[in-house]
Amino acid sequence: MSAAAQADSSAFRDAVHARAPVLTAQGIRLAFGGVVALNDVSVTVGADELVAIIGPNGAGKTSLMNCLSGFYRPQKGEVRFNGNLISGKSVHDIARLGLARTFQGTHIFSGMTVIENIMVGRHIHMKSSIPAAFLHFGPARAEEFRHREVVEEIIELLEIQSIRHQPVGSLGYGLRKRVDLGRALAQEPKILLMDEPMAGMNTEEKEDLARFVLDVREARSIPVVLVEHDMGVVMDLADRIVVLDFGRKIAEGTPKQIQTDPVVLKAYLGEGDR
Amino acid sequence: MDPAGVFATSFARDQALIRTRQQWIAFTLFILALFVLPYVVGPRLVAISTAMMISAVVVIGLQINTGYAGQVNLGQAAFMGVGAYATGVLATKAGLPFWLSIPLGGGAAAVFGFVFGLSAVRIKGFYLALTTIAAQALFHFLILNLPSSWFGASNGLSLEPATFFGIALATDRSIYYLCLVVAIIMAFGAYGIVRSSHGRAFVAVRDDDVASGMMGINVVRTKATAFLIGAFYAGIGGGLWAYYVRFVAVDQFTLFHSIWFIAMIIVGGMGSVTGALIGVFIITAIREGFVTLGPSLVHQFPALGGDVVFATMNVFLGGIIAAFLIFEPRGLMHRWNIMKRSYRLWPFPY
Repeated sequence: MSAAAQADSSAFRDAVHARAPVLTAQGIRLAFGGVVALNDVSVTVGADELVAIIGPNGAGKTSLMNCLSGFYRPQKGEVRFNGNLISGKSVHDIARLGLARTFQGTHIFSGMTVIENIMVGRHIHMKSSIPAAFLHFGPARAEEFRHREVVEEIIELLEIQSIRHQPVGSLGYGLRKRVDLGRALAQEPKILLMDEPMAGMNTEEKEDLARFVLDVREARSIPVVLVEHDMGVVMDLADRIVVLDFGRKIAEGTPKQIQTDPVVLKAYLGEGDR
Repeated sequence: MDPAGVFATSFARDQALIRTRQQWIAFTLFILALFVLPYVVGPRLVAISTAMMISAVVVIGLQINTGYAGQVNLGQAAFMGVGAYATGVLATKAGLPFWLSIPLGGGAAAVFGFVFGLSAVRIKGFYLALTTIAAQALFHFLILNLPSSWFGASNGLSLEPATFFGIALATDRSIYYLCLVVAIIMAFGAYGIVRSSHGRAFVAVRDDDVASGMMGINVVRTKATAFLIGAFYAGIGGGLWAYYVRFVAVDQFTLFHSIWFIAMIIVGGMGSVTGALIGVFIITAIREGFVTLGPSLVHQFPALGGDVVFATMNVFLGGIIAAFLIFEPRGLMHRWNIMKRSYRLWPFPY
């Protein structure tokens, strides 16, 4: 890793060690016309914590995710990320603050190779001007190699070396999700939001991705917010779980607490079954 | 080349465009051939080659704008015209040398293109295409209706030959070299831009603007920048054109020309600088081939009449482009890459 990148990552480790919550959402209310998707929802994500958001279909999980990542602007309440007010900021500015997210389904740049996709994640860290890019040889090329090194580390972490030059459009679903994760990691985020990363995967792919999420936490020690349907994955991975139902937060706690919480059992897992 | 293929062991090698010694030799020979060309072929072929160089610059710009950033642009000829007029005015009225007037002409076109690029902020696809046609109409309207002392109105604008250290670039051969050198510089720059983070941002915006926003790419600015760069290239091409023909008039930059430029990137392949160059070569060669063939056909079969022959030529040329859209919509570069891969894997299918 180059000196500049090292300085970056040490600065971001310092930020992690500050104990203040990284992401806070206060009293979020979001309505689409008459449909209230979220009503008075508050979530706090501390440093180095994996928070899972679960709930039955239509509970408002993805809406909450979109509010947290600044995609939707809630009608009431505010979202703060490291003290900065997010609601109302443009999406690319939020990304520059250090918030990265992966998407439900695939929002991947299908015309690019794996390397190029992940290099796009480095965009916010690359400063070369267009004239420098025009000349290519010189600072633009040096910068390109510096960031390529970071990208290669991510490729190694995610074990996608063999497909690095393949166009993403030709890859299977599981691999695309892995590239999506790699792209988010390349941003060197201070928090990672993942919207249903396991949806549509088979058991093996789920296990792989869960392992990568754990690897990422170990390597980067950044907080992760996970919206997920798969109960097994959530109970295994999460430090804390937030349960939504009909746009309201009905419970919050450790996986153990949630598993035995009568309100949750009633709303989500079905009554008296577990 | 190793028996199993070329494997890069450094990032520099991995992203190099020319990767083997054979490719270097071929590339050097190609460039040398371009430089000795005027001494080998006749004046007509030199004129066609000069036109190709100019088109190449313009079409590379369009490739960056439409092929990479995905912003449909049917006003590239108007941007080229702005460059040509700006260069013409700067050369005749301000007496600037060509190495200042051409880049400034490019800058003028870039500003004009940027203004229309701003409309790409809110509109996409067909509607954007219509807006760029408006650029075309606006360009004609302005030139024809502004006082004739400004841009010559319908009379056009005449230029003195460019001078380079006291040598007048008045011959076709000298203009060919000017266009060749500029085209090489601009093509080199285009390869640099599309491989940089700016180029990746263009493709990202083309492929998925939601995800590119989340990656920290300012989608609005990126689209406008794509127009700016595309129009800058068009303006440089226009400036070369002004010094080549030494006469600038509005009917040299019509919607028809813009459509030809689009046809070139379609035939060559969207999203590839090399594809743009190939498209320019193929389309210009076919067109000039027809122009040469036409009179001799009329001569052979006088019964057909000139009108019919030339009309048929245009239909045939249109047919070629239609055939590309149907059978090879991703262009010759795509076909070439497929062939390259199957050659590498032979005798195995995959």
